[in-house]
Amino acid sequence: MSHQDLLRLEALRKSFGSTVALSDTSLNVQRGSFVSIVGPSGCGKSTLFNMISGLERPDGGSILIDDRDVTTRTGQVGYMMQKDLLVPWRTVLGNITLGARLTRRLTYDDRRRAVDIAQRYGLGDFLHHYPMALSGGMRQRVALMRTLALDHELLLLDEPFGALDAQTRFEMQQWLLSVWRESERTVLFITHDVDEAVFLSDRVLVMSSRPGRVVDDITIDLERPRTLGTLTSAVFNGYKSQILEHLHGRVGP
Amino acid sequence: MKSRLLRNVLGSLLSFVLVMGIWQAIVVWGQVAPYIAPRPLDAFRAISGDWSTLWPLTLWTLRETVYGFLAGAVLGVVFGIVMHKIAMLQRVLYPILIVTQAIPIVALAAPLVLMLGFNLGPKIVIVAWIVFFPVTVNVLDGLTHVDGDLLTLARVLGARRWRTFLVIEVPAAIAPLFSGLKIGATYAVTGAIIGEMAASSGSSLALYQHNANANLNAAAVYGTTLIMTAIGISWFLLIVSLEFWATPWRRRVTARRRRIGGKHK
Amino acid sequence: MSQRQIRRAVLALAIASSSIAVAGVAASAATPTNVRFVYDFPGPDFELTPLVVGITEGIYQQAGLKVSVLFPPDTSTTSKMLTTGSADVGFITTSDMAVAVQAKAPLVSIANYSMSNNWGLFAKPGSKLTLANLKGKKIFSWGDTWTNAMLPFVLKKAGLKASDVTVVTASNDIPLLMSGKIDFTTSTSNYGIPGILEATKASPVSIVGAAAGVPNVPVWVYSVTRDYAKNHPATARAFLAATLKATQWAIKNPAKAVADFVKKYPKSGYSSFYSTKGWGITVPLLTNAQGKFFTQTDAQWTLLANGMKSNGQLKSVPSASTYYTNAFIPQQ
Repeated sequence: MSHQDLLRLEALRKSFGSTVALSDTSLNVQRGSFVSIVGPSGCGKSTLFNMISGLERPDGGSILIDDRDVTTRTGQVGYMMQKDLLVPWRTVLGNITLGARLTRRLTYDDRRRAVDIAQRYGLGDFLHHYPMALSGGMRQRVALMRTLALDHELLLLDEPFGALDAQTRFEMQQWLLSVWRESERTVLFITHDVDEAVFLSDRVLVMSSRPGRVVDDITIDLERPRTLGTLTSAVFNGYKSQILEHLHGRVGP
Repeated sequence: MKSRLLRNVLGSLLSFVLVMGIWQAIVVWGQVAPYIAPRPLDAFRAISGDWSTLWPLTLWTLRETVYGFLAGAVLGVVFGIVMHKIAMLQRVLYPILIVTQAIPIVALAAPLVLMLGFNLGPKIVIVAWIVFFPVTVNVLDGLTHVDGDLLTLARVLGARRWRTFLVIEVPAAIAPLFSGLKIGATYAVTGAIIGEMAASSGSSLALYQHNANANLNAAAVYGTTLIMTAIGISWFLLIVSLEFWATPWRRRVTARRRRIGGKHK
Repeated sequence: MSQRQIRRAVLALAIASSSIAVAGVAASAATPTNVRFVYDFPGPDFELTPLVVGITEGIYQQAGLKVSVLFPPDTSTTSKMLTTGSADVGFITTSDMAVAVQAKAPLVSIANYSMSNNWGLFAKPGSKLTLANLKGKKIFSWGDTWTNAMLPFVLKKAGLKASDVTVVTASNDIPLLMSGKIDFTTSTSNYGIPGILEATKASPVSIVGAAAGVPNVPVWVYSVTRDYAKNHPATARAFLAATLKATQWAIKNPAKAVADFVKKYPKSGYSSFYSTKGWGITVPLLTNAQGKFFTQTDAQWTLLANGMKSNGQLKSVPSASTYYTNAFIPQQ
């Protein structure tokens, strides 16, 4: 119950018919931490995100951000999906400010800050480009900038790099880490990729399905900043095999 | 970009010359009598020779086309939005809208004249009748096919429905809207002419042609057709230019005007 | 096709058709000569009664002719169908004839259908409208050459300028007249009176012929191309002779004649009442003061052409013989 916890889930559960999507889950996420969630399809990762973001109403339990109950309230967190969801008729700048435009009157300040964010994180030369002219990696950067621009402390990232090729993906991971560090946000990150989870996170939550629940909570004690070398270190591989064991020991053949 | 425009203009010119050439060839080699089909040049001469009469009639037909087109476009957009927003209404209206298009316009013209008289009224209704349908269908289609995840995202961000509508759904429907408008633009002048044929008070382009036809003045008949075609093409090109201007993201890398943050270099 | 081939084909066709014509007329019913008759209106109506009687009562067959009736897509196409060879004999207004000659379409009128001008203005029954209060009124027009030729005479008689009235051109007059959208329709008495009679059960107010200020010229004629007149004189003569017989038969047996029409064109869209009434009004128009059918005069053509020149429809007035020939009209 320390004040350091940004997000607290208390006995959160959700079923769809007879399927238990998420069974009684309680969880604390420390302010400023990077927490990944790995697990097979159907383990309730997305249901969890949908409830935290306010899209879905839990059957029981509550969601607290900074000790405020935000259950079923939208507009409290930043949310980024695998698809970049950039609107083609707006420029990079217009897409970054889309969140503001969707929720209130767009101010000069919003735009000024969007320009700042874009310039700080390497999109300065593309401010007036339309999304169609950007590569997949660039588009994901814009999508993340849009998520950042709304100033929510908690960011939910749902497999944002799932559609990128390995090379771009690694660049994006490093970039994400630098953005996270500089912007001092708290990140909940869903991924299928165990390497990605270990590489990025302070903590990895392993989930299993039927019923969806958190089966392991592993603190990743790897030095930051993390580099290419991190990926091949023995400690890294130790975490990796621990997680893989959890995943494959309990699910599947 | 410039050279592509040049090539397009050149291509259009070439096809124009080709069509005129074929026309000339058929009339000359086929030894077609001038009161059956004129030579192209005679048709143009018929236009220039009676320009003082034809020009006001052309403006009048253009006015019918434009007014009707605008009415149809507005109606089409409103129908598209309302039908998108109220599912029940869509179920009720869609069959009716399809029926409206199945009615032969010519059959529609006579009762319209009885109700609305001989001036602008029936022409505007006929043109709007033709134009609104493709607009409605395309706007509805555009609104229906907005990425559902984008709408979810808007909800997550805490956007109210009408803001989501204005910021996401409306712009998403702009490209389809123009598809509908372009179809409407090609048919609009036809509607105006059908209206004029059904009834004209005083004179009209259709009546001028009718008289020329009765007088076996084929050059003037073809000349009037050329004018009608020119009205249709001009209006279509105007809509295409408008589309170019309104949807820069479909062909440009960067936005045209740099607003805030232009000093980023 | 090369020029030579075309010439050969045309020659062959000419020989074939002329031999058929000669053989047909000479050898009577054995191999009848085809005559394609094209009407002035896209659909049939009672003015076709003589033609229908000729066909139905076997009068054309006796003359060695096989007459078929064609309908043009619009009233302006009849003369073109003649010049392009799509039809042999056409039924057109005298004003159509005049503009055709001006456009150098090689047509010649071979007989009058009616002998006098029964065109004019028609208002709803009980209407107080006269030429005296014509100013500011809406007058219906079919937009055809005949109406265009005649309306200026009406205005002149009423002492008005073209801008003093509104001419409404549309495709159907009776609904507009009934709904009060127009004050007058323009028509000939044989069409105008039955139409309004049928719609209102009362006779319309009519201002016709001299009362309307229009010249007394025939409205409709039978016409052929000059080539046809030159190459098929026997057929033209046989056609008019048989048509005269059929016309006289239809005058003598009006009920049976109209029944023949209704039977041949059950879907004409006109009631038996309308057709009977129309044919009844048409009959007295078919003969001149001497009781003669068909006969044309220099005066009628000159009068018409002068009138059409005065209102700008014609640029010049050619000699009357440019328009017509009485050479094929049978002895009466």
